Formats: sequence, structure tokens, C-alpha cells
Amino acid sequence: MIKQTPIKMLLAILLVSLLSYGCAQDTTSSGQQSKPAAAQAQKQKENVFTGPIVGKSNKAKTISISVGKGDDAKTVMLRFDDKTTGLEHAEKGEAAIISWEQRGDDKFALSVKPKLAKLPEGVSEIKVDELYQLISAKTPMTLVDARPESRFAQAHLPGSMSIPVDELQEKKATVLPEDKNKLLIFYCGGYT
Amino acid sequence: MSTTNAGLAKKLGYNNIRVFLAGEPAWSKAGYPVYASNGYVKNGNIVLIDLRTGGKAVDARIPRAIPLTYEQLEDRIDDIPRNAPVVLYSDNEEDVLDALEELRDEGFKSVSLVFGNFKGWVDSGGTVQKGPIFTTEIKWERKLGKGEVSVAEFRKATNGELKDVYVIDARTKEEIAELGIFKNTVNIPLDEIPKRVNELPKDKRIFVHCSTGARADLAYRVLIENGYDAKFLLLDISAPECDCPIIMPK
Repeated sequence: MIKQTPIKMLLAILLVSLLSYGCAQDTTSSGQQSKPAAAQAQKQKENVFTGPIVGKSNKAKTISISVGKGDDAKTVMLRFDDKTTGLEHAEKGEAAIISWEQRGDDKFALSVKPKLAKLPEGVSEIKVDELYQLISAKTPMTLVDARPESRFAQAHLPGSMSIPVDELQEKKATVLPEDKNKLLIFYCGGYT
Repeated sequence: MSTTNAGLAKKLGYNNIRVFLAGEPAWSKAGYPVYASNGYVKNGNIVLIDLRTGGKAVDARIPRAIPLTYEQLEDRIDDIPRNAPVVLYSDNEEDVLDALEELRDEGFKSVSLVFGNFKGWVDSGGTVQKGPIFTTEIKWERKLGKGEVSVAEFRKATNGELKDVYVIDARTKEEIAELGIFKNTVNIPLDEIPKRVNELPKDKRIFVHCSTGARADLAYRVLIENGYDAKFLLLDISAPECDCPIIMPK
């Protein structure tokens, strides 16, 4: 393992927070910060990396993946070969689970599997056509864009409001509708 | 992010929550319109197009807007860089949706609309610019992203003008044997960078390039992880714009 100084870690966190706009890297962190960290440590012992794919090079035969959360987040690069399975899931921005082994100085990816987003209990997914119908029919609802504000500013769904994750964590219900029975829909930058 | 927010909202007692997991990319892909916020229309690094006909832009327009009717836009489409974020408005929904579809079909990566078109802008307190328009030239320059080095600075390094910079070519040995290597540059293929990172000088800035910038970006992240002051070149090095001195293979 590479030992990290606090400054390096801060850089890594900045990098990850600036570059990650997807959903799934946050799926385990619904308010319980300690559990995923422990789970992550456990996973790493078993030679498994879980997180969003930062990039893949077919010429260099490498996959870069962002691993860990918060203070532990960093980008790791692995090599792959013809025996690596599931390379189609190693697409930039997709959340993936990579199992790997150490060969000499290099980490080799054995398999890449997609990491599917888990919804909190009682929360259901809505697909694009149904959402379009709800918006077109002017259905009373609060539509929330969970991406960073800069992404919202550039392009957002009609009638949506910007509440990034950190803002909701800080301001809680004050930024949400008073009526807790009102339909509340969240979206971000895709499945990843 | 959306699932995190859904989890937080659930804890706060909300009980009618749904998540649009496919998110904004799926919405745009399905052909539905997306909107720019007013601050972005005002200050963003965008190409803003006023699609209204009949010279209405002269009477009043959103500042910085270029007046191009739908027909003119079709003629001028190659004047707009495909990676430029384009924002459109008109005075009727049909024109603006047609233009949105046209630009997306043409491969524009980010096309968004002003909510409520010109009237929506005015009604929401947006300022307007009045008077004659002397040029419809489209000027747009991409701003460097995080970790990117400018072509000009990179070229200086390969010319040997920047003594505090160490330049890495992250392409394979085979590519270099075929295509040559820039002057004042060391070849370390991307896959070898993690294990050879200790060979690099600690007291120099490091610029990385490859053929297009994709591998250089990944190499840059490895270098940053290891505490180096690194930047990468996001450019197709075969483009005339690159113009760096090459040592050709013998």
C-alpha cells in the first residue's frame, strides 16, 4: 500500500470531489459515514476495489479507479490482460467492483463487475418517460438536482432546483418542501 | 449523489421519495430539453444564440447573444466548436426545440435553453442589450480544465525553454518507434509509471502527454497521488496546433 501524507490525501479528495459527478459512489453513505469506511477497509484486504472508473487505456492496458471515501479517497491504477473479465464495465464514470491480484510491482485486474446503485428502503426508481409525463402534466412535486451547483447551472431538468449533497447535509429540511407527503424526486449525473 | 440525498430526505421524514437514477444524461439522450440558469447565461463560457427572426435582437437581446435564425444556424454550424456549451433562446418554443435537436444531432455535447425564452429572461429580471449588432463572429475558447497544461507552455518545455519541467511521453514504446518523440521528453509508458515513479525528479514540475490526452490524464493522477507537481496535455498531438519539435525515428 502507498503511504499517504495528509497533503497528498487532501489533493486526492479534492480531485475526486471535483471529478466525480455520478451517483453510485455515494450509495453506501446515506448518513452512516463510519460503516462504509470499515466495509471499504475490509474489501481492500480481499483485493477488491470498489468505486467509479476514472479511465481505461486499451493501449497501455490499464484501468484507473477511484477508491475509498472522504479522507481515504484516492485513484489507483491497475493493469489488465486478455484474461481480465468484464472489461466492458470499465467505462469512465461507471461504478465498478474490480477484483485484483499483485504480480511483482503491479496490480492486475482479474474481473470487473458493475456496481449497481442501491436505493434506500421505501424509495423507488423513476424512469425517464414517466418523469417526462409527470413534468408535462405539471404534477405537483419537488424535483431536486443533486449534482454540484456548477453542473446544475449549465444544464438542468425543467422546474428542478439545485440541492447538492453537502447542502442537504448542512441545511437539512429547511431546503426541502414543508409537506413531507409531497412527491420528492432526486436526480444526478447518471447511474455511476 | 441522488441516492445519498434520497437517504437523507428519508431520515428527515419525507415519505414520498423517488430517484431518477438514469439522471440528466438519460433525460438529454431521450431528446428532452435542459435549461441553463440565469447566472450561467450571463457569465458562463458559452456560445449564446438568439434564434428570433425579424431583427428583434437589435431592439433588445440577452448580452453577448449572437443573432442567428434557425436557417442561419444551419449554415453556420461548423463555426461553433462542438465542445462549446451552447445556450439557445427564441420567442417561440418550436424554433428553440428544433435547434436543440439539430445541434444535439450534429454532436454538440452541451446544449441548453433559457427558461421561458427571451420573455422568461426579461421576466426573471435579466438585463438586456440594445442597439445595432456589428458582427456575428463566433469566438469561443476552451478554458483549461483541472490539471491541464496549455499547449503554449507545453511547447516551451519541449523546446527546452523551461528548465524546471520534466516532460513524460506516456505512449507505448511501439508508438514512439513508429512516430518519434518530442525533444526534451522521456518515454515512460502509462502502465510503467506506478512502478517507475521514484525515478522522477522531485524538484521539477512534470508535464505528461500521450496521443490525445486520455492516458496523460490517467498518468497525471498517478503522479498527483505520489505528491508530484504534475500537469497533462489534453490535445491530439497530430493536430497542427501542437507544433512541438519532434525527433523522428531513424
